[in-house]
Amino acid sequence: MGITGLALVWETKISYFERSQERRVENPLPSTTGRSAGASPSTEDAALAAACQAGDLAAYERLYELHGARMKSLARHLLGSRHDAEDAVQETFLKIQRAISSYRGQSAFSTWAYRILVNSCHDLRRRHARRRELSESETQNGNPAPEPRGPGAHPSLRLALERSLAQLPGRQREIFLLYEVAGFAHAEIAAMLNVSEAVSKNTLFQAKKVLRQILEPPRAAGRPE
Amino acid sequence: MKVTCNDLERILRDAAPEERAAFEEHAKTCAVCAEELRSWNQISLAARELYEEWDSPALWPAIRRGLAGQADHAAEARSNWGWLTGWTPLSFGWQPAAAAALVVVLTVSAVWFLRPMPRNPGTDAGNTLLKNDALREADRAEAVYVQALDNLTAQAKPQLENPSTPLLASYREKLLVIDSAIGDLRAQAGMNPSNAHLRRALLAVYQEKQQTLEEILEAKR
Repeated sequence: MGITGLALVWETKISYFERSQERRVENPLPSTTGRSAGASPSTEDAALAAACQAGDLAAYERLYELHGARMKSLARHLLGSRHDAEDAVQETFLKIQRAISSYRGQSAFSTWAYRILVNSCHDLRRRHARRRELSESETQNGNPAPEPRGPGAHPSLRLALERSLAQLPGRQREIFLLYEVAGFAHAEIAAMLNVSEAVSKNTLFQAKKVLRQILEPPRAAGRPE
Repeated sequence: MKVTCNDLERILRDAAPEERAAFEEHAKTCAVCAEELRSWNQISLAARELYEEWDSPALWPAIRRGLAGQADHAAEARSNWGWLTGWTPLSFGWQPAAAAALVVVLTVSAVWFLRPMPRNPGTDAGNTLLKNDALREADRAEAVYVQALDNLTAQAKPQLENPSTPLLASYREKLLVIDSAIGDLRAQAGMNPSNAHLRRALLAVYQEKQQTLEEILEAKR
């Protein structure tokens, strides 16, 4: 596939390592929703867990306010449709309630919840293995609708990337989505997927290598050994 | 800290902050590495754009109804069947005993693999290079550990070849990922046999494989 999307004007160039350090926090709580005044993320996380264990439905609502949007986005990419993503998020909350007594603080409560989400997506994908849903970006005649231009990546690269993700093996796609799209740190991904940080890092590396090969075939010369 | 073009893959895979900074400095004077980093960064940048949000006004009400209904059902079940909650069935077979024996072998091997390597006087605390004798010891210990892991894998093989449950299918996929990581790390360690950091990373992945195989055998019961 000839690549047209990897060129960036100098003004938008971002240092690779500056970008890789962004949004990597141990207990990410989205900044788009309000937090308890003066509460640290880990404190609120623990308080939320305790309230959910006590059966407080308001705590579940707070969990949804904090993480619902992110869960939906992640599930959307894991399952391919918004409808299935919402089903997965709904199922996740029910599973959280059923399993809440087994939560022992072995990881952050939010990390534990996302682990359940990932497993719910696995289950849903198996049940709907033959299900196909038209992309919501497609027009009725089957041609893709124009993508809105984002502030960073070239739109054709974004579209190419989304289609290339489907070619990744399941675990590579998951870890790529969790790290690069959802913004989780490797420690959190390791806890969610029950793998080591080393495996998470290595799998991400393999995923990006594959994506790079798909999106930009190797050049003939000048590549380091 | 001196880094070269040959460090690119290692840096992209996993590197300490000072190594990353050193490589960025190197890339300022190396067009090839700069291009590699730029391409790598492009993928991350494009990935950020994949995050999407949309309104789902009916979702939370549906979740709330489900949670409330489930809570009512659980409360009813507790009041009817509370006297059963203390009962847990037990069953044992020969397989857990065999798995336990293998765990002992693996643990001893891991202790041998992890024991402190002899240091030469005068080397500073940050010296991570393994000397020849220590290297041979590490190789021997690794071979024993790998053999023990192979034995454990053979025990788990029947469940993994034709997984009968989604859980076993998930375990099989996890083992594929772990084996891929082992392959990569062994290749890296092969190119840098004296690098203790790589050896420790490899041991961590071996241990993860061991734990996964134990879980599979546990699930078999």
